[in-house]
Amino acid sequence: MEELIISTENFKKIVQELLDKEFKVIGIPEGENKYQEITDGNKLSLHPEAAPTNSSFKGYFFPKSEPIFFYKQNHSSVDLFDPIEDKKGIVVIGAKPCDASALPIISKVFNWDYKDDLFNKRYDSSLIIGMSCHYKDDYCFCVSTKGSPENTKGSDVFLTSLENNYFKVAAITPKGNSFIKEYAKYFEKDGKKYKPVERKEAIPEHFNYEKVKTWLDNNFENEFWDTAGEMCLGCAQCAFVCPTCHCFDIVDEQCSSCEGRRAKNWDACQFSLFTKHASGHNPRDNQEKRYRQRISHKFKYYKDKFDEILCTGCGRCARGCPVSLDILQVVEDINALAEKS
Amino acid sequence: MEEKFEPKIVAFVCNWCTYTGADLAGTSRLKQEANARLIRVPCTGRIDPVFVIKAFESGADGVLISGCHPGDCHYNAGNFHARRRWTMFKNLLEFVGIDSTRLQFSWVSASEGKKWVSIVDGVIDSVRAKGPFTQYKKMNKAIEIPVQTGEGVSAK
Amino acid sequence: MNELKQICKDVLTEKKARLIIGYSEDKNKRVKPFIARTPEDAEKLVFNHHAVNNLAVYISRFKNNFEGKIGIVVKGCDLKAVTALIQESQVKREDLYIIGVNCSGVVRDIDQEFSKDNSQIKCKYCQTKTPPYFDAIAEESKEFELTDDDQQELMAKIEKMSAEERLDFWNEQFEKCIKCYACRQVCPMCYCEQCIAEKSEPQWIDSSATARGNFAWNTIRAFHMAGRCIGCHECERACPMDIPLTLLTRKMGMVASSEFGYRPGMSIDEPTLIGSYSTSDKEDFIK
Repeated sequence: MEELIISTENFKKIVQELLDKEFKVIGIPEGENKYQEITDGNKLSLHPEAAPTNSSFKGYFFPKSEPIFFYKQNHSSVDLFDPIEDKKGIVVIGAKPCDASALPIISKVFNWDYKDDLFNKRYDSSLIIGMSCHYKDDYCFCVSTKGSPENTKGSDVFLTSLENNYFKVAAITPKGNSFIKEYAKYFEKDGKKYKPVERKEAIPEHFNYEKVKTWLDNNFENEFWDTAGEMCLGCAQCAFVCPTCHCFDIVDEQCSSCEGRRAKNWDACQFSLFTKHASGHNPRDNQEKRYRQRISHKFKYYKDKFDEILCTGCGRCARGCPVSLDILQVVEDINALAEKS
Repeated sequence: MEEKFEPKIVAFVCNWCTYTGADLAGTSRLKQEANARLIRVPCTGRIDPVFVIKAFESGADGVLISGCHPGDCHYNAGNFHARRRWTMFKNLLEFVGIDSTRLQFSWVSASEGKKWVSIVDGVIDSVRAKGPFTQYKKMNKAIEIPVQTGEGVSAK
Repeated sequence: MNELKQICKDVLTEKKARLIIGYSEDKNKRVKPFIARTPEDAEKLVFNHHAVNNLAVYISRFKNNFEGKIGIVVKGCDLKAVTALIQESQVKREDLYIIGVNCSGVVRDIDQEFSKDNSQIKCKYCQTKTPPYFDAIAEESKEFELTDDDQQELMAKIEKMSAEERLDFWNEQFEKCIKCYACRQVCPMCYCEQCIAEKSEPQWIDSSATARGNFAWNTIRAFHMAGRCIGCHECERACPMDIPLTLLTRKMGMVASSEFGYRPGMSIDEPTLIGSYSTSDKEDFIK
């Protein structure tokens, strides 16, 4: 496969064509650091050295609140209506590996005992253009979760930074291949023309995942959990900004006395009501138990069930936590306990 | 012919004074406009501001809250507590963008049938002049059945 | 710094309190809440310009767990929350060991150095650099130049808008809300065991993050803070979507002050605003 490169300028022209073809283009606009719907190709920014955004882009595939169906009572029967489907294909541009790799991870749970069409329809018709990452701070730990700043998992097309505002382009999936063929005129074939931009610092391995997993397998009742999450306030900031958290609640909402909708909303295991039973019993009735659940789900249960770590090491949860509860430090503490025993 | 806008008013009224006053207006056959839907509560002290929000969510164009005069509360001090709450809530709603025409307050005693009529008509007229509360109704959009091109599916 | 550690060590050694809720620094130099249970733990306690958190939020969590006093490290603003909790009978004064710290300002962006531009708006108009009452006091504090109160400008701008413009402005802000409830969980005054938003029979406030649900949630929470919010600005700091929540709570504080002459968290014996009434309260808006 020949090496292709593209200038940032030409890439923005592709984006403009995508917009003209009525795709929903998601990217980071110049001057901001959050994923938004891009309406002008020129306003898109491609900065591999930027920090991860505050929130992930999972909301475009799994929205914070979406209708499952609408209902209207009609004398003795009920009419059901499907939500209007957004037929636009989604193209995400400039996704860091810690974001892009999350989609195939959560796709497994959305296709487990029930095929979630609300997610699948959006994911199957999407194109993810990933970009290698040149950022590092104390909260990043992608390498420890079997990822890396150059990880192509989850991307259909992958961009690597070159000098002179150029990018090396690689097709990772058949979808990516078709994309490159379609816009072939914008790419240049001179793969060696510009040198790759070197990463300033490597991301180290912060913990040994296998050791952490084994410890989690055997230490459900360990006194470590009495204090690991005791400062947690029980909000859902971490779960909602996380690219891999996927729990949801289903509610019925009335619009008038005989009309309404059934909706699927983001939910979080850190909420006190998450496991409250109709009987009134709550098996996770304090924050310490709920925090144990969060760590165990991410680093043990999901691996047991789907053979994936439910964490990509992006560090958003720790950066945004109101009480600075750092998931990396908790897992490092577990690693230390694992090494002692 | 275009239908003229008729405002929907929700009135939270206390059982002992205003509701009885409204009843007196009825038995006296006083003429009044019919736009107000009354919700009877034991005392204005029972009224949680979330009721007002719910009324707007459900399609009200205006809300009226009415109770016993200060000193006459059947439960002694319910309306005093309510009065303080309303000052805070009214200011909050104004700051957030809900015009004070849309949330009005009054004291109407059990014998003030005529006053009730003039209060209610006044509220209805002022809200009619303000127009429908489309800004709030737009907030309901996500919950409403979207305009469909096909038929819905009937389910028994 | 050493003074605080020594005070806390003594408190724990002499068992004046069973635990102390304070701040400590982690491996990445981030200052965060920490529970010291032994004199050795007390070595880890710190206080500096990065000690932003309002620790009073943990009082409601720890008060029922055991016998003995709860020790708590408080800045002047945090102490107002403690006072407000005592006013509302959530904790008794004699069940607390209050370790006050003199404070000269805390950061807005916790990952940057403290400076004039990186300080909280509340610090600019702070009247309680030394906590007004305490069981022990620590830290000398220096004067620092603090950021401007640019929030007043924004409030004035909003007041000048028409009602329609205001509602549009607030809807635009509230649409960002994701219903994470970080604002509620970080607030010391939100101590209800079942929040009104968690009630489902009937559902007063939609749990969905739609325009309607978000407007109801943020407006009702602002109302529940009326006359109770002590202005620690933790809600806005915790919000992951940058919603200007303190505009609402500050407005409520201004109304409480101008209409009733009431400021929450000033005196433990003062009756609360909404929990009490006066026969001469204003009623010019009632027909």
